[in-house]
Amino acid sequence: MRARDNPFAVHRIHALRFRLTDEGWRELLARLSTLGCRAAIVGPEGSGKTLLLEELGARLGTLGLAPCLLTLRRGERRPAPEARAALLAGLGPADVVLVDGADELGPLAWSSLRRAARKAGGLVVTSHRPGLLPTLWTCGTSVELLADLVRELVGSEEAEALRPRLAALFDRHRGDLRAALRALYDLYGASPATAGPLPGA
Amino acid sequence: MSWLKVDLDEGRAAFRPGEVVRGTASWSLDAPPASVEVRLIWFTQGKGDRDVGLVETMPCPAPGAEGRQAFAFPLPDGPYSFSGTLVSLLWAVEVVALPGSDAALAELVASPSGREILLPREMPDAGAR
Repeated sequence: MRARDNPFAVHRIHALRFRLTDEGWRELLARLSTLGCRAAIVGPEGSGKTLLLEELGARLGTLGLAPCLLTLRRGERRPAPEARAALLAGLGPADVVLVDGADELGPLAWSSLRRAARKAGGLVVTSHRPGLLPTLWTCGTSVELLADLVRELVGSEEAEALRPRLAALFDRHRGDLRAALRALYDLYGASPATAGPLPGA
Repeated sequence: MSWLKVDLDEGRAAFRPGEVVRGTASWSLDAPPASVEVRLIWFTQGKGDRDVGLVETMPCPAPGAEGRQAFAFPLPDGPYSFSGTLVSLLWAVEVVALPGSDAALAELVASPSGREILLPREMPDAGAR
């Protein structure tokens, strides 16, 4: 299968939306307000934290706030000086600092960043563990959620055929949906057809 | 209802390097945008993150809420349009209304044969004779 036709190609995964109803968004935004706009999105690897943070940033933007995103890579104990300076320059009450992967930071770097972000109107981070800031949302995964995402990507009929495999994939990747979807990319990529059902599905 | 679109002349969508991609971008928006840009780009799709190459931009300053802009972009020597199992490289002309994210594109193929190059699923053994 051509990469462009693979239903699990990254651009299709990135087009998925976080599963949250309008009512859920209202609750989340109300809770964020209650927490003084300083809070953490918590959850294991591949549970949608980054996606939720990005969508939250977009929603805050529609409310007249200015989201400022800092993404930390695995093992990045402190942000690059240029990235940190660009993020923190001229922060004001209308700015909301979004830090993806805040638990990668060392204690000093986190403390320094948190202090510098006081000038901003908000600070929202993602973390694998609770404790950096009050928890705004805990992301979780399930086989049902994986099945729902697969249904959106390949359609109901093909998703039904895949269904028996999804529980095993979910277990093999310990609930990491990103990893499970990448595994499905490989399975589809092995198909000789330009499009079609998963071999053996 | 807002829309943007890109039409390639004569519906042609396959080109060889050095040929000129001609067409018209048109739009109808709720309000006049700050600017409209027509761009010749290539981008990747597949298992990894998307790479994008911006080859040429044609700005349309002070556009109205409705408008059209003819374009002519000479295609560079490469990269060629191709697809493998892990990555595809695609060419397109896109029209973008700024600021914001309203955009539309028309895909095209760029290669010496005028067809997308399909990579073999397994590379031949380099040591085989």
